[in-house]
Amino acid sequence: MSEVALPLRGSDGSNSRVQGGGRQRTSLRRWIADAPAAYLLLLPVLVLFGFAVVYPLVQTIVLSLWDIKGLGKPRFIGAGNFLALVQDANFRQAATTTLLWTVFTTAISVGAGWGIALLCAIAPKQTLIPRVIIFAAFGVSEAVIGYVWLQVYRGDTAGLLNAILAGIGLGNLAHAWLGDAKTAIWCLIIAYSWAQTGLPLLVIFAATQQISRNVLEAAYVDGATPMGIMRHIIAPLSMPGVRVALFINLLGSLRAFDTIYVLTGGGPVRSTETIGYFMFRESFTQFKLGYGAAATLILLAAVLLVSIPAIVQRTKSTT
Amino acid sequence: MIGKSPAWIPYFTWLLAIIWVVPLVGILVTSIRPESDTLLGWWNLDHIELTLRAWVEVWGKYKLAEGFWVTLELAGIATIGTMILTPAAAYAFQFLRFPFRRTLLVIIINAFVLPAQVVVIPLFTLWRQMGLIDNILAVLIPYVGLSFAWSIYLVKNFLEDFPRELVEASRIDGCGAIRSFVYVVLPNSLSPIFAVGILQFLFCWNSLLIPLLFMRTQLPLPVVFAQISGMYDANWDLRAVAAIVTTSVPLLVFLIFQRQFAGGSIGTSGSKE
Repeated sequence: MSEVALPLRGSDGSNSRVQGGGRQRTSLRRWIADAPAAYLLLLPVLVLFGFAVVYPLVQTIVLSLWDIKGLGKPRFIGAGNFLALVQDANFRQAATTTLLWTVFTTAISVGAGWGIALLCAIAPKQTLIPRVIIFAAFGVSEAVIGYVWLQVYRGDTAGLLNAILAGIGLGNLAHAWLGDAKTAIWCLIIAYSWAQTGLPLLVIFAATQQISRNVLEAAYVDGATPMGIMRHIIAPLSMPGVRVALFINLLGSLRAFDTIYVLTGGGPVRSTETIGYFMFRESFTQFKLGYGAAATLILLAAVLLVSIPAIVQRTKSTT
Repeated sequence: MIGKSPAWIPYFTWLLAIIWVVPLVGILVTSIRPESDTLLGWWNLDHIELTLRAWVEVWGKYKLAEGFWVTLELAGIATIGTMILTPAAAYAFQFLRFPFRRTLLVIIINAFVLPAQVVVIPLFTLWRQMGLIDNILAVLIPYVGLSFAWSIYLVKNFLEDFPRELVEASRIDGCGAIRSFVYVVLPNSLSPIFAVGILQFLFCWNSLLIPLLFMRTQLPLPVVFAQISGMYDANWDLRAVAAIVTTSVPLLVFLIFQRQFAGGSIGTSGSKE
């Protein structure tokens, strides 16, 4: 038995030749003996995970194949919901909005966070308080963020944005920012990016603090200026942090709901509906559950697409 | 260490910080000035009078106190649930060998990408059939069930550096798999368990979509707040107080534990530094 097992056991050395068979039997016994305890420890997790993730995921796929309106009798329509979605002008608009929203909120929040993190990296001590302030905005509930920016975008005289425009002589631009379908989506993008900047700032700043002192000191001794060190050493070495932040914020933007719900409710004329909001409206205000489920699956496809690298990495590193 | 950094950097970052602090200060100022004084903007200083009227009246006007307790109850139970169940599962995945171990693990830890939107429609129909709408279980089950995707990953990552010899020694000395978890691993992994607890508490406290759909009478603060913060309601001062009450606890927890939060957020999304 050990003769067969030996090549498979790899670089374990010559001892394994003697103990190989015995060890394998022990581990096989352990493998079976551990199973009841393992499943006992895992039981509550598997049950709850099944309820909260597995069942809904499977059921979303099933529902997406049915025509369900309110309390009426469900009717199987196969890919009908998806065909209807493609032809639905509202859904097409939601898809465009999602793209615009995701690209800009991620780019602005990670870009701003990265820039500020790099500045903070070469003057860490003097920039502690501004850093904490920007990060604190990320700790405010998303629903409250909506209200905070409602005060900025108010169309009347108490709106901060209008007041600032009036102050710099652009008073004629003042209007009800959230009531205008052309400006509402941009207002939302700014508000959400503002709230999400703190995380990239913190993650990327943390990455810059991991850079070896020796590297920085060597550059200094060789005559590099702080700004030069920032551009040529800290910036490239902060890339792992940037990638993590990009992914977190990308995923967050795709699933965003709270800020949109509070700030515009998807309006005016559905101009600020992302797919993550569209499904809510179709399923829970129009009660078209199957239609909403189909839209959710399209959202899920987008999420999976951007998550491939993370999923591959997680699966690989799992032992 | 890298020479004298340019003097403009601190000033410039302070200037940027103003963009983040001004909208928040606006809420605070609005909450302590009479509404009539802020009609021309909360920064308008024509007439200065501070009042706690809004802070006193808000409790009768909106269901904030009740919402506060509901939120505390929901977030508290969900947090304890996750903190108890996660370490047991992470231990099993890390130290025990059993059929389908890797398959289950890969499925669970990759579920972190799922948006809540994907699970709410089937859960809504399921809870309706089971009569669980407006029951706290309707939100607790998804709160805890969805948390495992990142919490188990976080704790298992910690256990990968846990000395295996300790576990094996206890097994050889006659501990069963469960006793070795309770007496050896659990007491030595409290720090990741608390990090998981803090994250879970913040996520659950701020959660809006799930309670919005599944609760009818016992509404947590974000839902109460979202209902009153629509564009066409007046009472800017009262709503400013409600905003502060809604976010005070998570903001405080967040600022106190910001280090763990940053580490956790990285952990939840995949990279180990």
